[in-house]
Amino acid sequence: MIHINNLLSGYGPCDVIRNISTEGKYGELIALVGPNGSGKSTLLKTIAGIITPSSGTIKYAGENLSSLSIRKRAKIISYLAQNREAYPSMPVYEIVELGRAPYRGSLGKISSAGKDIIENALNRTKTDMLKNRKFNNLSGGEQARVLLARALAVDAPILLADEPISALDPAFQISMMQTLQNEAKNGRIVIAALHDLSLASQFSNKIWMLNNGEIVAKGTPKKVLSAENLKNTFQLKLPKGGFKQLQLAN
Amino acid sequence: MKLIILIICTLSCVLFSLFIGTVNLSFLETLKALIGQGSETNKIIIRELRLPRSITGAVIGAGLGASGAALQSYTRNPLAAPGILGFTACAALGAVIALYYGYYNWIPLAALVGTAIGAFLILKISGNRKSASTLILAGVGVSALATAITGLTMNFSPNPWALSEMVYWLMGSLNNSQFTDLMICAPLTVIGIVLLTLIGPDLKALSLGEETAISLGVSLGRLRAILIIGSALCVGSGVAIAGAIGFIGLFIPHIIRLIFGADPIKLVPLSAIAGAGFLVFADIITRFLTGPGTQLYLGILTSLIGVPFFLYLAVKETKL
Repeated sequence: MIHINNLLSGYGPCDVIRNISTEGKYGELIALVGPNGSGKSTLLKTIAGIITPSSGTIKYAGENLSSLSIRKRAKIISYLAQNREAYPSMPVYEIVELGRAPYRGSLGKISSAGKDIIENALNRTKTDMLKNRKFNNLSGGEQARVLLARALAVDAPILLADEPISALDPAFQISMMQTLQNEAKNGRIVIAALHDLSLASQFSNKIWMLNNGEIVAKGTPKKVLSAENLKNTFQLKLPKGGFKQLQLAN
Repeated sequence: MKLIILIICTLSCVLFSLFIGTVNLSFLETLKALIGQGSETNKIIIRELRLPRSITGAVIGAGLGASGAALQSYTRNPLAAPGILGFTACAALGAVIALYYGYYNWIPLAALVGTAIGAFLILKISGNRKSASTLILAGVGVSALATAITGLTMNFSPNPWALSEMVYWLMGSLNNSQFTDLMICAPLTVIGIVLLTLIGPDLKALSLGEETAISLGVSLGRLRAILIIGSALCVGSGVAIAGAIGFIGLFIPHIIRLIFGADPIKLVPLSAIAGAGFLVFADIITRFLTGPGTQLYLGILTSLIGVPFFLYLAVKETKL
């Protein structure tokens, strides 16, 4: 379980998120929603240890994450960045293999158990057939899935994904959300920043709604995506009959 | 197999360089002199002139290749080269100041002090957790400052001979390499290459971006400090002995990347091997082209070979 208490964080002297107190449980896919600039990415980066918070605590299994070494923290939290960045000519397998970086020995050797985890991550993201291809020869959707496989290869109990479905076609979006949902069902805590409220409502167990750096609503999708919250946070009307759900053809 | 070919090429260059020089020695005479037999003159030529020159060239080339590979991997920029961090310019400044005051024996030490000051400045400016672009900007700034002060020193040169010494020194050469110089250069370069090789796994994680690298347990501050110290040792010790030799750190990692792939874990040591071979090869050419009364400087030749090749690669890569 992850506990966030009175978190204040941002860039330099400027605090972007304030008074964040919330928690996530094993098996939950938590959608982090909010307008641009509301602090979704800042919150994820603070949890991941990329940004040091000004104050407040983040505890996992009763342990304060900021007191852990960077290597130990990397084994607890896996982070999927918003930018799909990788060395262009690097083969897919080598990219996914980087997920085992927190566990590697001094010469970068990966154990046989680690290799099994890599294969498993490739299978779960349906990227096993791409593993010998170069990153720059893949489509945007394939690149997104490969980087998700890299994040899964960390095999951490907490998975943070910053806009994992942005700029993907609807089929890839659903496929990615299904993978994230499966990871949560397998016992991880998955927190994903999403712009698509329909997919957030369809796949997540819980939603944290951010506005101006504060959590303005949290709970089940039905409770959080209310007409009032949508109006106050997004200046949107709730669609008649609720959010429409798209499904894959097979 | 490709690795074996690379090692054989490098070793062949080093061995072949022992046969090249003003005095023509046969294969047998050279080998005899190498193992301490034959005439005293031959032994002096091979063991005190050609051998230190070849080994010094290999060591300097290895350091330049390794630091170029590490810097390109760190900045994720194929245009990064050892010179970009200003170490070459700082070492050159130290040496030029020593030449200005006529302390010829102190040139290596002055160059090393110059590099150390440059490394300290860059570490201070680039800070603990700032991006790679801050490091490049710090390097470019320090380099420009060192170049300007070098120009100023040359401008106020006490006499034309001192000025010509400075100019020739800046062109780079292995002409006066001695084992005593190698004793300074080799340990520092080896330490530098080891440091840069050890950060290979962290550099590989960095290929996914700085944020992802941090989330994978990479300490960017530690990585940057080792990169700066390792590069400073490689480049500073090389410039201290042979003057400014450009382009090797830029294009050797390119060639290695094309042949062996971009993995920094392999790229850094392989670029060191290739850099060693190439610098010795370039030095062999300077010996062929140098005649009575004229001397072709190594730094000029590496740039003359390197620039067209680099442009060819740049055009080829943009077409892909």
